[in-house]
Amino acid sequence: MALLQIAEPGQSPQPHQRRLAVGIDLGTTNSLVAAVRSGRSEPLPDAQGEVILPSAVRYLDDGIDVGHAARASASSDPLNTILSVKRLMGRGLADVKQLGEQLPYRFVGGESHMPFIETVQGRKSPVEVSADILKVLRKRAEETLGGELVGAVITVPAYFDDAQRQATKDAARLAGLNVLRLLNEPTAAAVAYGLDEKAEGLVAIYDLGGGTFDISILRLTGGVFEVLATGGDTALGGDDFDHAIAGWIIEQAGLSADLDPGTQRQLLQAACAAKEALTDADTVGVSHGAWQGELSRAAFQALIEPLVARSLKACRRAVRDSGVELEEVGAVVMVGGSTRVPRVREAVGDLFGRAPLTSIDPDQVVAIGAAIQADTLAGNRRDGGELLLLDVNPLSLGLETMGGLMEKVIPRNTTIPVARAQEFTTYKDGQSAMMIHVLQGERELVSDCRSLARFELRGIPAMVAGAAKIRVTFQVDADGLLSVAAREMGSGVEASIQVKPSYGLTDGEIARMLKDSFQHAGSDKHARQLREHQVDAERLLEAVQGALDADGDRLLSAEERMAIDYQMQELRDLLTGTDGAAIEQQTKRLSQVTDAFAARRLDSTVKAALAGRNLNEIEE
Amino acid sequence: MGTPCHFALFDLQPGFRLDLDKLASRYRELAREVHPDRFADASEREQRLALERSAALNDAYQTLRSAPRRARYLLAISGNEVPQEVTVHDPDFLLQQMQWREELEDLQDEADLDGVAVFKKRLKLAQETLNDDFAACWDDPAQREQAERLMRRMQFLDKLAYEVRQLEERLDD
Repeated sequence: MALLQIAEPGQSPQPHQRRLAVGIDLGTTNSLVAAVRSGRSEPLPDAQGEVILPSAVRYLDDGIDVGHAARASASSDPLNTILSVKRLMGRGLADVKQLGEQLPYRFVGGESHMPFIETVQGRKSPVEVSADILKVLRKRAEETLGGELVGAVITVPAYFDDAQRQATKDAARLAGLNVLRLLNEPTAAAVAYGLDEKAEGLVAIYDLGGGTFDISILRLTGGVFEVLATGGDTALGGDDFDHAIAGWIIEQAGLSADLDPGTQRQLLQAACAAKEALTDADTVGVSHGAWQGELSRAAFQALIEPLVARSLKACRRAVRDSGVELEEVGAVVMVGGSTRVPRVREAVGDLFGRAPLTSIDPDQVVAIGAAIQADTLAGNRRDGGELLLLDVNPLSLGLETMGGLMEKVIPRNTTIPVARAQEFTTYKDGQSAMMIHVLQGERELVSDCRSLARFELRGIPAMVAGAAKIRVTFQVDADGLLSVAAREMGSGVEASIQVKPSYGLTDGEIARMLKDSFQHAGSDKHARQLREHQVDAERLLEAVQGALDADGDRLLSAEERMAIDYQMQELRDLLTGTDGAAIEQQTKRLSQVTDAFAARRLDSTVKAALAGRNLNEIEE
Repeated sequence: MGTPCHFALFDLQPGFRLDLDKLASRYRELAREVHPDRFADASEREQRLALERSAALNDAYQTLRSAPRRARYLLAISGNEVPQEVTVHDPDFLLQQMQWREELEDLQDEADLDGVAVFKKRLKLAQETLNDDFAACWDDPAQREQAERLMRRMQFLDKLAYEVRQLEERLDD
């Protein structure tokens, strides 16, 4: 265990002793980056002192605007200014069209299903647009903190499916960020609140952002944040409030619904302004062109009531799923800018029978929590007081079986990481292959679920129908990402897939984007790769050294120790040079030679946890 | 390392009656040790091992926490694995099951939320009685057959409870 670092009050430890890691809230409307400094987690401001970066990107002939300037140009240059890109992440063209009647972009199909947006700089995928936002935040963090980042925790709505998570991770990769973890937004908010208020017991996090809604029920116990259930709607948010008001203006002003993109943007901006004004005012004047009208708070509430009701329904379901009663929930935390709407606060307060907590800025709380988790993952908090987040998968995962039915393998709200296996058999004599179709969703019919991947297990030896034993294993990691493997038990034939969702990007597309981004940044690809290999190598050396110091004498023979020391020295020698490939290779070699040691350390951890218990009396 | 007994992992005696709070707090202690978050900057292999250990721990915890799964596990470690799917010879219970399902359908047709609440209470009572019966006989080899029957009944009721939740969801529309 690392020695405690003692700092003077109000002073942070030496910068080089801390591993720089940030939390990033990549929001629909706004994005933020936060970091733990001097023991406090806080959002990092830009040069103008602003912490919020509007999630707006404008593509110009000769550059890219991100943030306030881009948002301001939304109605004058609607086709090249991308707002709310998060709503397009990991979505197929069909989904996008469904929610996007009012989206003023020109969509074109990509190689895979995720659509591209036509701009003056050519086709941009939602992943690239998100990466452009992330790059600005990364640069801000590196300049403010004064060094290169070890990594970042990026938040996603808890209810994001596999495709949306994968797309977010791809965007971070494209922005040159090492993703320490994808963290669910409500869980991040719970961390910020829980540590701040030293809360214990059952907590509900109601997170209504610009485009997504999440509800999570957590149990807080001595620094452990255990998510019991989560629910939500990835297409419900403040944007929908704006659309409802815009629809009202169209109706009142007698406009035709078929508007040009610029007018659409103007309407949405007028709608958003009216919504914000109604937080404090009882009525607000609204105008569009020659038309003038007045919107009362009561009329606004009537417009959004169906949307609020949808969110409350998801709350009730999450409470049921967590196996607790509404009355047992001891605190309700409000997250996301849209919870500033008074009707939302009131409705949530009524449902849970208590006033919601709003003491941490609802726009900042997610980033603040993410930064705390990033600091922990980067190893800056190993002082016994570290927190532990136990999250769940939001949607059931399963397989297509005979008759077009979905067979659930991992039900929703199962604690992750999780691995589950299910056995299947062949239905024809001599069947030599089996198609594995991986699905996500709650419905019975395959056609109502989201298709995540298909792959084939081939080479099954000839047998009569029903004789083959095929075990399909699902594994969900701590980021909530799924991989699936299939194995015929008799012959050992195997096939597996890291689920690359149908709506994700193909490797070809990612490779092209990475190439493009290097060219745009004008950076030298080799220099960058070398730096990446160096960082990986340094990280591994540090980890191995730490492990050796802690357990080397106890768990290694003299020969094993020598072998590891030798490979470490080789790597250190190579690090003085600039041969990236050699560094990469030697890093792999060191990793291999320490494999057995790593396994032993982990087993000994479990054994140590069991030490002192009388195994004989409890084993059968 | 073979598969350690789930009960041993949690420092508990194998038994049906469990202190669920103690189980939960032991789970949190162990999760701290093996969760992948502790290995964020470790080697790829260590990360994979942590993922596997953590998934196994979660599975053990879920097995012990649920009464029907715990019952099945106890029978498996104290004798033979009970097959997942067999033809059940338990006519009285099956009859009762059918009645319950019919009642549930009526409740759905009438959208009777109060009725659902009463139904849930009755179901919970039936589950508790089953649990008591199972606890009294599972470790007696002479009553093995009865224990298996009770375990299957527990599974049926568990499934019924799940259907009640789904009904509540539909009625919430």
